Amino acid sequence: MRNTRRTLLTAIAAVGALTSVAACGGGSDSSASGSGKSGGTYNFWDPYPQFDASSAWGKLVTKCGTDAGAKVKRTSMDTTDLGNKALLAAQQGNAPDVMLVDNPVVSTLVEAGILNKTSDLGLDTASIQKNILGAGTIDNASYGVPIGANTLALYYNKKILSAAHVDPASVKDWNSLTAALKKVKAAGKKGITFSAINTEEGSFQFLPWFWGAGGDLTKLNSAKGVAALSLWKQWVDGGYAPKDVLQNTQTTSWQEFATGDYAFSENGTWQLGNADKAGFPYGVISIPGQNGGSAPVPTGGEFVTVPVQKDSSRYDVSKKIVTCLTNSANLLATDTTLTYVAPTAQVQAQQVKQNPELKPWVGAVAAARGRTSGGLGTKYPTISQPLWTAVQNALSGGKSPQAALDAAQTAASKG
Amino acid sequence: MKSPKGKRRYTVIGVLLTALMLFPVYWMINVSITPQQDMRKTPPDLLPLHPTFEGYRAVLDDQMPYLGTSLLIGLGTVALTLVLAAPAGFALAKLRPLGGGALGLTLLVAQMIPGIVMAMGFYGIFLDLDLLNSWWGLIVADSTIAVPFGVMIFTAFMSGIPGELISAARIDGAGTWRTFRSVVLPVSRNAVVTVSLFSFLWAWSDFVFANTLDGGGSWRPITLGIYKYIGNNNQEWNAIMATAVVASIPAAVLLVLAQRYVAAGVTAGAVKD
Amino acid sequence: MTIARVDRRSQRSPARSGATGTGQRTDASDLRRRQRRSSRLTALAFIAPLVVYLAAFYLYPLYRNLDLSLRDYTVRSFVQGDAPFSGLDNFRTVLDDPTFGPAMRHTVIFTFASIAFQYVAGLALAVFFNRHFRLAGTLRALFLIPWLLPLIVSASTWSWMFNSESGVINYALHLVGVSPVDWLNSPDWALTSVVIANIWIGIPFNLVILYSGLQNIPGELYEAASLDGAGAWQQFRRITFPLLRPVSAITLLLGLVYTLKVFDLIWIMTKGGPGDGSSTLATWSYQLGFGTLLPKFGPGAAVGNILILIALVFGLLYIRVQRRQEA
Repeated sequence: MRNTRRTLLTAIAAVGALTSVAACGGGSDSSASGSGKSGGTYNFWDPYPQFDASSAWGKLVTKCGTDAGAKVKRTSMDTTDLGNKALLAAQQGNAPDVMLVDNPVVSTLVEAGILNKTSDLGLDTASIQKNILGAGTIDNASYGVPIGANTLALYYNKKILSAAHVDPASVKDWNSLTAALKKVKAAGKKGITFSAINTEEGSFQFLPWFWGAGGDLTKLNSAKGVAALSLWKQWVDGGYAPKDVLQNTQTTSWQEFATGDYAFSENGTWQLGNADKAGFPYGVISIPGQNGGSAPVPTGGEFVTVPVQKDSSRYDVSKKIVTCLTNSANLLATDTTLTYVAPTAQVQAQQVKQNPELKPWVGAVAAARGRTSGGLGTKYPTISQPLWTAVQNALSGGKSPQAALDAAQTAASKG
Repeated sequence: MKSPKGKRRYTVIGVLLTALMLFPVYWMINVSITPQQDMRKTPPDLLPLHPTFEGYRAVLDDQMPYLGTSLLIGLGTVALTLVLAAPAGFALAKLRPLGGGALGLTLLVAQMIPGIVMAMGFYGIFLDLDLLNSWWGLIVADSTIAVPFGVMIFTAFMSGIPGELISAARIDGAGTWRTFRSVVLPVSRNAVVTVSLFSFLWAWSDFVFANTLDGGGSWRPITLGIYKYIGNNNQEWNAIMATAVVASIPAAVLLVLAQRYVAAGVTAGAVKD
Repeated sequence: MTIARVDRRSQRSPARSGATGTGQRTDASDLRRRQRRSSRLTALAFIAPLVVYLAAFYLYPLYRNLDLSLRDYTVRSFVQGDAPFSGLDNFRTVLDDPTFGPAMRHTVIFTFASIAFQYVAGLALAVFFNRHFRLAGTLRALFLIPWLLPLIVSASTWSWMFNSESGVINYALHLVGVSPVDWLNSPDWALTSVVIANIWIGIPFNLVILYSGLQNIPGELYEAASLDGAGAWQQFRRITFPLLRPVSAITLLLGLVYTLKVFDLIWIMTKGGPGDGSSTLATWSYQLGFGTLLPKFGPGAAVGNILILIALVFGLLYIRVQRRQEA
């Protein structure tokens, strides 16, 4: 009897200990985190885990915080994670105070109702280029300030092209590009590498070709869309592009180009720094349209947003932080580090003066389109996913380009 | 009686099999010292011809705190799992509580829930209990991976303990708790080591819980530390692989030490036939 | 033993029991009932922490997931929290989706192929290492290394090895004259590639548990068998395998439950691609909820629940078989 009671008491004590550890441990942590739970600390999320606290960006964030009179707690995470985490956090009332998100995610977060309009906060977006701002504009209201923009173009390896007797200036449309690839392959080198992975990166890389054929995202299976997909399929089947484009991220595609075996690589502004380290002379041309001219390219880049908080008095400091991060001087520094194009004409001019190699990119960004612009908004994700699936199905040989895009259009219209 | 030559044959085969099994690990080490521009070389270098140690330099500079946190979380998970699972396993094996069968089924179902479902559920609970972004909260979360399994292992091993051992203790006047502590546990050393091994390894390599529940904490495990090298637009593979190599070393040492105990029998010398 | 104790107790207090035999019998049964109650309370005390733990940490996520699958959640209602009840609509959407068939098929193939090979390899290795040759212990410990590696690293290493251009496996095939295989790019091979990687990762688990099980088989049985002239294979078939059955059963069941949940590996290697080439229910569930820019939590949770149901069916099957064996 005595033993039983002792055992029972021990068990209850164990359970009690467990819960008290949880509660006690929690108590000592409450001062360090939680928006709204304590006055002085503001939560800041960004998708740059490669920049730690001692980096220029990390120091800038801290400084903007102290200038605004607050302590900033910065958390960086993988960019695909950030959108999901933001939704989860907002659901529990734990959203950060300032958040940098990749531009196609903005429409999803707006749909969830967790972002504030820049006009409501009194943020000035007048000097920002309209097409760059457009990616974060839903129903004529903008929901974030872009930190910078980037886009896609064709990098080429000068040595390989001259050895294959290809003049980069001759690459004006799809036919001339394919002809160039043929010549490169005949000279014993590899043609082109890009990313056709089954994530948003794949859609991002496919869009210049899709739009270059005159395709419309609301009609994926039009003849123009099929033409674009057939072009890629032709390259993969003909050996001008490697089969592993289906797994390539834009980074691994760049690593392939950096081996020095590939003539062309479809990649973005942010690779400029790596291009200089590549060890061979390189050049950049804009992606050709099907019948000539430059293909429309999609805008990339992150937006600085201010999620909705229960305590609206926090917006004063958040607004100051955002304004600090996006003032001209800081934009120049940040966009130089990230190798993005600045969103305002004034800072762009300064960038080009510092680094003339950025000139073609500035022009490309000026001609670029937002993925969620053109009234697509939250419809874009429901189109993008079937689109990258179609690309995968066609390039892997599972379906013909027409059949793949037909299936994609059916899935996209279901929403 | 096996001749020494026969035994040597086994050793050779064993080494060959192990080498085959560990080839991907070798490849991982190979990648960790490959410079960035050779990452996608065709055909790949079987031996690292131009080794670079910048990955390891980055790891030694950045990752040591993460490794320490991982170790802490691993050991904490082992402790918590043993405390919860061993008594319960003993009860299910020997004490026959009411609803024992239902509990067995519940433990099975508990292991079927996908990790991401658990993590999403925990987010709310942890936020309310203020356990988010803390390493002790992560210990509690990681233990949910190991506890049901631990109970099953303890139940299985402890049902194999002969009843005479326990009755002998009872006759000597020991209560149930005393019996458990002084007789059952020492004899279940095999099971204790097995459960500790599993719970440590599962906690060590957990990513889902760490990412969802400790993403913003100041004490983060190594599985999150690796993501430092997976930025928005770049992935430093040699640093990532170097982190994995460095992260495997302490765990590998623990493994070699622990496997000696996993081999011991259950009732070694406790009951004479 | 217990009876002796009862006798001893009743011997200690003859005065209370009285002179009649019935009095003694009532006393004994009273004592037994009290002992049963106390032992039941003790048992309860031992499992109470576990029960509280299970209720707190497993019931709530399960309930959340059920709730997600039974309501019509948009991104807005996920955050704001006022989603209308939609019954089995999400399940119907999932079952009608063209991805459901392939995902189901792939789940079956992936699970059964993985478990079969993992188990056989684990058993073979366990028996092999049981021969106690030199270095056996160290080699066995080294076999567990695949388990230590963070999954992102193992999965990435395998996906690099399988790369159709710069992967070492195609290079090795090239050296023996076989043309390169599109391991991760073709719908025919993608599933095979993830199965191979999964088998590699699962062998340590099987090895450890089966090896521990082997330790419980007394060596005398083998000695007696070899004295009777039984060869190694006969010893395995007649002694090892039958005696290992309970451990094998639990290994297979747990293997099934864990393999059904596998998602990280496939996600990192192929993300379920190309197209749907290597999608399983687990990856599809994640894809719906987190792999897209516009999450569909309802269908994602529905697929997750279907997965749990399948695992539950096998769990109940296992318990039924186990009970029949005990009876």
